[in-house]
Parts: sequence; C-alpha cells; structure tokens
Amino acid sequence: MLKRTLLLTVLATGVSANETPITGNVQSSCSIYTTQEGVYGNPSIDELSTKVADGGVNPVVRVDTSQAGYYTAKITTPTQFSTSPTLNDVLNWTGDVNVNQVSDVGMANYDADKITYNTTHEYDLTVAGSTWFEIESGVTYGVDKPLPGGTYVAKVVAECIAK
Amino acid sequence: MWKWLFISLFATQAYAHEMTPTYFELKPSLYDNVYVTQLSLFNKRQDVEYYEVNVYDENFNPIAFATKDKVLKVPTYGKSILEIYVRRKDVDEVTYVCTQSMLLKENVGSTGVTSRICSRLK
Repeated sequence: MLKRTLLLTVLATGVSANETPITGNVQSSCSIYTTQEGVYGNPSIDELSTKVADGGVNPVVRVDTSQAGYYTAKITTPTQFSTSPTLNDVLNWTGDVNVNQVSDVGMANYDADKITYNTTHEYDLTVAGSTWFEIESGVTYGVDKPLPGGTYVAKVVAECIAK
Repeated sequence: MWKWLFISLFATQAYAHEMTPTYFELKPSLYDNVYVTQLSLFNKRQDVEYYEVNVYDENFNPIAFATKDKVLKVPTYGKSILEIYVRRKDVDEVTYVCTQSMLLKENVGSTGVTSRICSRLK
C-alpha cells in the first residue's frame, strides 16, 4: 500500500514537474551610511573638538561596496562652519580620518595605503564589504581667543567615486 | 538585557545614500543630437530628503546637462530614477554623474555628513 502511494505521488509530481529558474544579478554599487553623527566638545575657551577626551563625539561613516575594486572613498574633514556666530579672527582647523572597523581582514591596510591631500583622505576600496571611517575634527580660534556663544555646525563630506 | 538591546539598536542605526549603476552608458535619445542615460537613487537617510545632481568631466569640471529636477526630493526609503540628457558635442567629455545629499539646516547636528556618490561612464 505504501509503495503504491509513493509511486503515485512520484508519478503525479513527475507529470506536473516544471523547472522554475530563479535568476539574480548582483550589480556593483556603493552605499554611504552615517552611522554616528559627530558632536563638538568645548575643552577650552578657544577650542572645539570632536575627540572623546575633549567631550565630543567623532562622526563615523560606513561605506559599503558590493564588488571589489570599483570605487574610491574620499572623506574630507571640515575647513569652515556652515553655521556659527559671527567670527572675526582666524580659525585653525585640524582633522583626521581613520578606519575603525572592517568587515574583511583584507581591508587591514586601508589606513596605511590611503592618500592624504589638503583635508581629504582617499581610500582605494580594493575589497568588497563594509568599512567604517572615524573622523576627527577640531578648530581653535585666534590666539587663545574665546569662541562666541552660539551654535556651531560643520560638515564632513563622504564620497564614493567609481574608478 | 532589554536595556542593552535597546542601546545596541540605537548604536547601530544607520542612514544610507545609494546610487546605481556604477558604470552608466549614454545612448541616443528621442531628441536630435541629445544623448540620455538613466540612474537610480535610493535614499535611506532619515536626515536627508533632497539630492543635487551634477555631471562632470574627468577633472570634475561641470558639464551642461538637462534633467527633470536638478535638485530631487527623495523621501526616506524612496527611490528615484534619474534621466540625464547631454548634448552630443559633450558626450566625449562626460565622465561622472554625481548625486550629493543636501542637508537642511534644522536637520544638522554639530557635525553633519554630506554624502556624494559618483557613477562613471562605461
């Protein structure tokens, strides 16, 4: 009885069997994620800094690439405020970018291999996956001059350029 | 434990800007001496709703182009198809099509992140 049922089942499914292909296509792409917004701390009267030691928060940007070797990432630290009170003296900007997390060990040399010019840090994304970039930004005002009270906003630019 | 899970979710919250394809092609359009290409922009950034489109040569000098809106409104988790038209005389110069996020003043914290993605001519 069991054999007959099994045979019927096989026959029934055999007759109606049809190949349904599932096709997919992974195309290369780049995504830029802002995983952490930055905050300036005010460690001294003439200084703003995103360093944790200075009471700030470093912004973190994640760049994902789906295929290796297709993109260059460029991270540019700020050199001006987009919002601030009126400032009459010189601003001295500092900035740095470091890889703080990777999804693949092949990205271990990204920091050593990066090219830095002006305030831009350029990374060749030679491995597919996710890379987290931690950005430091700091600014001092004049010579020990107190920064006026108010809101200060500066922008980091994260770019993904196809090669 | 729930408290840690909650904190962890906040810590990993992320907003993304994505554009495809990596390499685009310019093809003749319905209009004489005008070429066209299509790109797709996906906005997962909750702090951004507007993106600016630009076309550049290999040295990032701007090139004249036409599109429906040079500043696009793309709602969060929304997708927009960009149709970019360039004159035939400029086709040899075109190298990049870029989209750049535009941050609204009220949505920017102490340091905002402007994201820019550039696709390249195949």
